Amino acid sequence: MTRKFAGVAVALALALAACGSDPAAAPQKSPSSGTADATIEIGSQYEPQNLDNTGGGGQGVTEALNGNVYEGLFKLTDAGKVENLLAESQEVSDDGLTYTFKLRQGVKFHSGKALTSADVKHSIERVTAEDSQSARKSQLEVIKSVAAPDDRTVVVTLASRSISLVYNLSYVWIVNADAKDLATSEDGTGPYKLGVWKRGSTLSLEPFPGYWGPRPANGGVVFHYFTEATALNNALLTGAVDIVTSEQSPDALGQFTGNADYKVSEGHSTTKLLLAFNDRKAPFDKPLVRKAVSSAIDDAKLLESIWAGHGSLIGSMVPPTDPWYEDLTTIDPYDVELAKRQLAEAGYAKGFRFTLDTPNYDPHPTAATFIKSELAKVGITVDINVITADEWYSKVFKNHDFAATLQEHVNDRDVVWYGNPDFYWGYDNKQVTDWIKQAEQAKTAEEQTGLLKKANRQIAEDAASDWLYLYPQIVVASSKLSGYPVNGLNSQFSAYGIKKG
Amino acid sequence: MKGFVAGCVLVGVVLALAAVSLVWLPYDPADTSGARLVPPGGAHLLGTDKLGRDLLTHLMIGARIALTAGAGSVLLGGVLGVAAGLAAGFATRWLDDALAAALDALIAFPTLLLAMLVVAVREASLGSAVLAIGLAMSAVVARLTRILVKRVLAQDYITAARTSGSSWPRVIVEHVLPNIWPTLLVNLALQFGLAVLAEASLSYLGLGPPPPNASWGRLLHEAQATVLTAPVGAIAPGILLVVLVVGVNLVADGLRDLAPGRSR
Repeated sequence: MTRKFAGVAVALALALAACGSDPAAAPQKSPSSGTADATIEIGSQYEPQNLDNTGGGGQGVTEALNGNVYEGLFKLTDAGKVENLLAESQEVSDDGLTYTFKLRQGVKFHSGKALTSADVKHSIERVTAEDSQSARKSQLEVIKSVAAPDDRTVVVTLASRSISLVYNLSYVWIVNADAKDLATSEDGTGPYKLGVWKRGSTLSLEPFPGYWGPRPANGGVVFHYFTEATALNNALLTGAVDIVTSEQSPDALGQFTGNADYKVSEGHSTTKLLLAFNDRKAPFDKPLVRKAVSSAIDDAKLLESIWAGHGSLIGSMVPPTDPWYEDLTTIDPYDVELAKRQLAEAGYAKGFRFTLDTPNYDPHPTAATFIKSELAKVGITVDINVITADEWYSKVFKNHDFAATLQEHVNDRDVVWYGNPDFYWGYDNKQVTDWIKQAEQAKTAEEQTGLLKKANRQIAEDAASDWLYLYPQIVVASSKLSGYPVNGLNSQFSAYGIKKG
Repeated sequence: MKGFVAGCVLVGVVLALAAVSLVWLPYDPADTSGARLVPPGGAHLLGTDKLGRDLLTHLMIGARIALTAGAGSVLLGGVLGVAAGLAAGFATRWLDDALAAALDALIAFPTLLLAMLVVAVREASLGSAVLAIGLAMSAVVARLTRILVKRVLAQDYITAARTSGSSWPRVIVEHVLPNIWPTLLVNLALQFGLAVLAEASLSYLGLGPPPPNASWGRLLHEAQATVLTAPVGAIAPGILLVVLVVGVNLVADGLRDLAPGRSR
């Protein structure tokens, strides 16, 4: 059955190539090689909440669908570069306010409809819509209007310059404007279409025969979801999965390192674990209190406890893969005496008590336990309140009803969120807001980088949040596998090039 | 009799751990100065967890939580259950039927689901766990009490006591309770063991007392990811759970054998 299906796929792809419309579709693999039919079994701990990245689908939906089922005008490569994808070319007006994109020809949605500029307009407006929960919504709100003068042309007009527009557009999935019910089904242009999503268990992707580019290097992928790292590692050991997208248990690595059947790759992650304060409310409205808390927690010990030597400390929101990274770990060093002095200066010599809203999944409860014991040493009492991901979203993210919380932030280039005073942590520093705004309107990348470095240093000086550590990104795969991404930027996981055998 | 003694010894071990923990602990439970996953021996008798905390310290505190959960649930379930059972046993036909149906419904309701409801309404804490387990247990106790009461009420000596002028409260105190308590006591002892297991399950699922409270169930959960590199973290709380539950069951068996007028 698989073989027959692959045959049809190749025939269709060849037919497309024969039209000569797209040079990218020309080179075809011979179906007789065998490995191109193999299904790749992927193990992950991040099942999507739903299939819509503007509807709170979580990082799982990015991992499974980004670049696989849905494509943007641009894509972010595993190396962190932005490349054309559905956009073939772009033109920017001299004032930097008008972008004209030409769409790639011969692109079809999985439903069979051809891609037009109307779909692009609809897709961008979906992200900036009132009820959108997209992580990039606020950055894309700089868009004043999107026009579709003809089927292949999209004109985006901005309210002010936006140097990261193209980068931000790589987050915007192009969906069929007529598609319904995107929370449970899909209609994208990617190399795979959705097979079956068995909630709580698996999500399968099948090659889309009408894909505009070359066929994927495999015959489909199945994401297997686990809620628990040990079970996931056991699945890899027994061969039930071929690859683990992001290893969450350092203690299990010993089973794979030094074993010729497996390959362990440590790439760059953009996921940061944050102790996020509610900067609006006392006592965390005082930078000195936040600095004291940051200095009272031994981040190195926490990282060692959870990751046993993997991962790194960055001291701020910017990971080393962002162009404006600086090592800022010395700004709020681990220093209990300093913390005590700062607390006294802020008027909390006797400490205080607060509730820490803690997501109920690893590593948050462990980190909360550690923070509680560290802060006890400077007289601060922590009440740990364990909540679910849904509760976190409504209580903390939407209603800002919290004192402090723990959360992992997976995106790269997300320091800009400190320029939005309405974000859940409520950090409001006019200077930083201006720098971030100016950086966005910068004419050159150097100017942008300079301004964001300043902003990043300032949020560290203000201890806007406490950036506990940067996760490691560890991919463990069967040594038969090749072509998989190792960096997991933004937690995306392109399955397109993965080959077995 | 041998079983009873063995049971007392096993329960005694856990009782001793809990009692000692009230006055002395090897380390401060919040002390994270130890190294990560130190193997047993040396300064840390049973080693440390991921955060460098002493495992024995947490096991001792866990003993306290397990016993509190067991005792609290049995107290709540016992009082509610016996009261409801007596009421049903003495009630008129239709009230008895209604109560029996309600009890059956409550028994059919999974304890875990009940616990999740309680946690959703209140919060994840030892109190919530005890409330949920106690409520679930009260149905079982009530059903047993009801049957025992009905059996006693059918006896001739009850009729004799009533015709000789004894009031119902007096009949309950003088005739009913003395005849049903041995069976009830054995059952409550068994329920104690089940309550300990239930609390550990809830904590394992994150529905018990929140961290850093070291319920044995939570210790098991936390040790799960490191079971290959530091197995003691999972084995030790597991063994203590077995010791306490087996101990309680042996004691219950012994009590049944010792009870006056035992059925077997």
